[in-house]
Amino acid sequence: MLDTFEIITTSGVVLWSKTYVPVASSLINNLIREVFVEERGANARAENSGGQKPTYRRDGYTLKWTAAKDLGLIFVAVYQSLLQIRWIDKLLENVRALFTELYRDQITKPNCSAVDCPFDQYFDRQIQELEKLDKDAGPQRGGPTIDVTPPTSDSNDNSADDMPPPPKPVLRTLNSNTSHDTTSTDVTPIPTPDASRPGTPRANHLLTGRPGLGGRGSRRSRKGMVAGNSAPVSSGDETPANASKKGTKGAKKMRKWDANGHADEDDGTTLDYSAPVASSNLSNANVEDSAEQEKWGTRTAKGEYMLKDIGDEMNAILSSANSNAGATNGDAASGLVGSSIGAISGLFRNVVGGKTLTKEDLVKPLKGMEDHLLKKNVAREAAVRLCNSVERDLIGMKTGNFTSIDTTLRTAMEKALRKILTPTSPLDLLREIQSTVRSSTKRRPYVISIVGVNGVGKSTNLSKIAFFLLQNHYRVLIAAGDTFRSGAVEQLRVHVNNLKELTQRQGKGAVDLFEKGYGKDAAHIARDSVEYAAAHAYDVVLIDTAGRRHNDARLMSSLEKFAELAKPDKILMVGEALVGSDAVQQARHFDAAFGVGRRLDGFIVSKCDTVGDMVGTLVSMVHATGIPVLFLGTGQHYGDLRVLRVESVVGLLMQ
Amino acid sequence: MAWYDEDSWLTQAVGPNIWAVIGTILLALTLPIVLHWFIYRSSVLAKTPSFLVLGPSGSGKTALVTKLETGHGSKTHTSQIPLTVQSHLPKSTVPKSWQYRSTADYETKAPKPLLLTDTPGHAKLRHYAYNSLASTTNPPTGILFVVDAADLSSSGTATGGANFALSDTAEYLHDVLLSLQKAYNNAKTSKAKEIPFLVAANKLDLFTALPAVAVKSTLEKDITRIRETRARGLLGVSTIGKGEGLGGNDEEGDDEREVLGGTSEGDFKFATMEEWNVSVEVVGGNAVGEDGPGVEGWWEWIGAQL
Ligand SMILES: Nc1nc2c(ncn2[C@@H]2O[C@H](COP(=O)(O)OP(=O)(O)OP(=O)(O)O)[C@@H](O)[C@H]2O)c(=O)[nH]1
Ligand SMILES: [Mg+2]
Repeated sequence: MLDTFEIITTSGVVLWSKTYVPVASSLINNLIREVFVEERGANARAENSGGQKPTYRRDGYTLKWTAAKDLGLIFVAVYQSLLQIRWIDKLLENVRALFTELYRDQITKPNCSAVDCPFDQYFDRQIQELEKLDKDAGPQRGGPTIDVTPPTSDSNDNSADDMPPPPKPVLRTLNSNTSHDTTSTDVTPIPTPDASRPGTPRANHLLTGRPGLGGRGSRRSRKGMVAGNSAPVSSGDETPANASKKGTKGAKKMRKWDANGHADEDDGTTLDYSAPVASSNLSNANVEDSAEQEKWGTRTAKGEYMLKDIGDEMNAILSSANSNAGATNGDAASGLVGSSIGAISGLFRNVVGGKTLTKEDLVKPLKGMEDHLLKKNVAREAAVRLCNSVERDLIGMKTGNFTSIDTTLRTAMEKALRKILTPTSPLDLLREIQSTVRSSTKRRPYVISIVGVNGVGKSTNLSKIAFFLLQNHYRVLIAAGDTFRSGAVEQLRVHVNNLKELTQRQGKGAVDLFEKGYGKDAAHIARDSVEYAAAHAYDVVLIDTAGRRHNDARLMSSLEKFAELAKPDKILMVGEALVGSDAVQQARHFDAAFGVGRRLDGFIVSKCDTVGDMVGTLVSMVHATGIPVLFLGTGQHYGDLRVLRVESVVGLLMQ
Repeated sequence: MAWYDEDSWLTQAVGPNIWAVIGTILLALTLPIVLHWFIYRSSVLAKTPSFLVLGPSGSGKTALVTKLETGHGSKTHTSQIPLTVQSHLPKSTVPKSWQYRSTADYETKAPKPLLLTDTPGHAKLRHYAYNSLASTTNPPTGILFVVDAADLSSSGTATGGANFALSDTAEYLHDVLLSLQKAYNNAKTSKAKEIPFLVAANKLDLFTALPAVAVKSTLEKDITRIRETRARGLLGVSTIGKGEGLGGNDEEGDDEREVLGGTSEGDFKFATMEEWNVSVEVVGGNAVGEDGPGVEGWWEWIGAQL
């Protein structure tokens, strides 16, 4: 069974929750942090892949969630991973529709965090119905199949299209169920001019009456069958199809529940909340085009009805939500007049603001944004991901007053860039060195090693770091771990001699070279250098390594042993600012090269001064690994090392 | 036929008609009044005192803000966006500007409204906080920096290394104070207005929590360390030219190099921030939980700023 269900605002307040078994609050915090804020595991957010709600697993629990973007709500269901609850997706969907419809006004009220929501009864009812449907549907699936003509109304068609593939007959049941309910409420004193509507009730009568018409075993027809059998369970009206025992039993049970759990004062609360529902439906109806006249009538006619039974109210809301979705889907194609008016007002809103963004609105501006990022040397993969994340954020949002789509998109992209570039925990290298070196318990040198592909400036940046450390009066040992390329050791010696000179003028700190010539195993040299440093009271060891192509498996595999023997406190990878789209692969391969449980700690991006405003490489590298950029090389001198300032980089990228 | 129609309402409205005259006079007289009322009212609305709530993730900002809003608070999770709520001083707290009023007068007055803005504390989302901090259109009346007092004790380090919660908190606090200091230095106009700054030591209901005094000294000590390494650390990269690229621009170095409290020598004390018109106070309490000092102390501080 479900452990907990929570409705949370993006500002972090729990509006409503139902707890069956208490779970640690850190569970949902982790979900928010990892998935929403840090966007780790991009696939976890791949929403609606195959109609499934996204899932997050941790500590033996499964969390499924859905969001109402425009209101800033997250709906989370928590249950133990051992269990399989088939109706969770449907529950999330229905609860979202109900909750947003019932409390929209309260949620959008400014300067207020709390929402007065007596939502328990709706929720309990939903659970009951879904569980029942689940039980009913279970045996039916195994039983003999009766083929039926599929119902012909649009809304049913739509729900069929929206539905996930076969393994979830239960979900389909309820959805078609609710839309069936709309049609049953269509039987009102008000005559409807809509031609497509009357088709559905007829189809309903056919359901049990005429087997064997449609294509045998087709997905749709089976769906129709399930809908026909279980429809009475929730709607409870007395159609001929209702003659089955199961149907009447369901209806009875519902009434009983009403009598028990529904005291007089409860009726009072329902009355309170049915009013806003009616009114918001009204306003909805105004916005919609074509067929809403009849819906409007239905709802007002149903006014007193709703007071008696929240089940009906609930279904009405759900079905209106469903048909709304249908309306917006069908909108694009149907109604010449409607669509052209829509286009004009859309254009107007685009300028003035207050437009609700859809996928179509965003396609073109996003493409433009992607090209812009590519021009800034952001790898395509990273650009696409950024655009997708921005798109996810924006779909369903309203643009602000007097802001066009482009401005909105720009702001969102800036936010996304800032988010991706800002490290989760900032690293203060000096402070870490200080606390390691001055540690009273066990003094040891702080070890930094530097990796990267050939020719990106590993040795240069290593000497820059050494220079920086020397200025802070540390004793630095530089280990020549590149035993491969001829001249590498000599190059380092030149740097060390230069640095020595600078240090002597300063009078504090010291720098020396640790080298064992060429051909030796780099991992062992690294380990020896650390031992040597510990014995001779050096504060920091900087280990240079041989440059290697990231797709050279043999050389890359030696890195694991290296990490194991040298045990560096920090492994930094140097990447060139001009590298372009290869940056992603480089970063990934090096990040994975150190074995399980050891990753890169940061990037040094070199030659930043040579690329102008095309600083996209920074983004590509961080995107690929989630590892922060620690240093930027900005010139030829020892002093040309800088730390990343997110604002400057975002500013450059968005120009 | 004349080029105009005698009976049209338009002709009547601009013709020498007594009603037209009266209408014009009325309009001329009421328009300024309406305008005045409109502008005056909106400026009063804008002047509702607003407090900015900062602090690292999980310190209890959202819990505090909802508690101050509703009196009972809500369950909370990690925030992703800021939240502004309206609240009222409780009857028991007398705002400072009312301290000379008679109690009878006070009783009859409606409680003062105030706005509280909660910000997300996650490191990736702190730009919301810095933006509101730097806001010139609606500068905060006061700032509450919430810290988790139960998480600061340096002894409780499971990982062996430095206490992450402590360094995260101190770093954030350091950066906020530094940005206030910079804003003060860069302000061109009168610098008379003082910024009240409350360090709210939260979660004092837990027995592992440090008392407010200890919170203060712990934070001061850690900020001392931070500003030391910051002063010696590398400069941030800056844009050169007219945003033509990244580089090490030394002109900006001065601003970059600014040290909290003016110098990295000696120990940092919150009291030195007075020089930059930031008056820091540390008050303990708890936003959640039964036993403990509750939110009384914080309400009093807020009342003192009104
Ligand atoms: N015991 C105790 N727990 C508290 C107190 N205040 C907050 N908490 C708990 O601390 C946790 C985090 O509180 P939040 O208010 O969500 O933290 P936050 O500062 O808003 O965090 P972010 O939104 O991530 O920035 C919640 O589980 C609270 O219940 C307190 O005074 N005492
Ligand atoms: Mg919060």
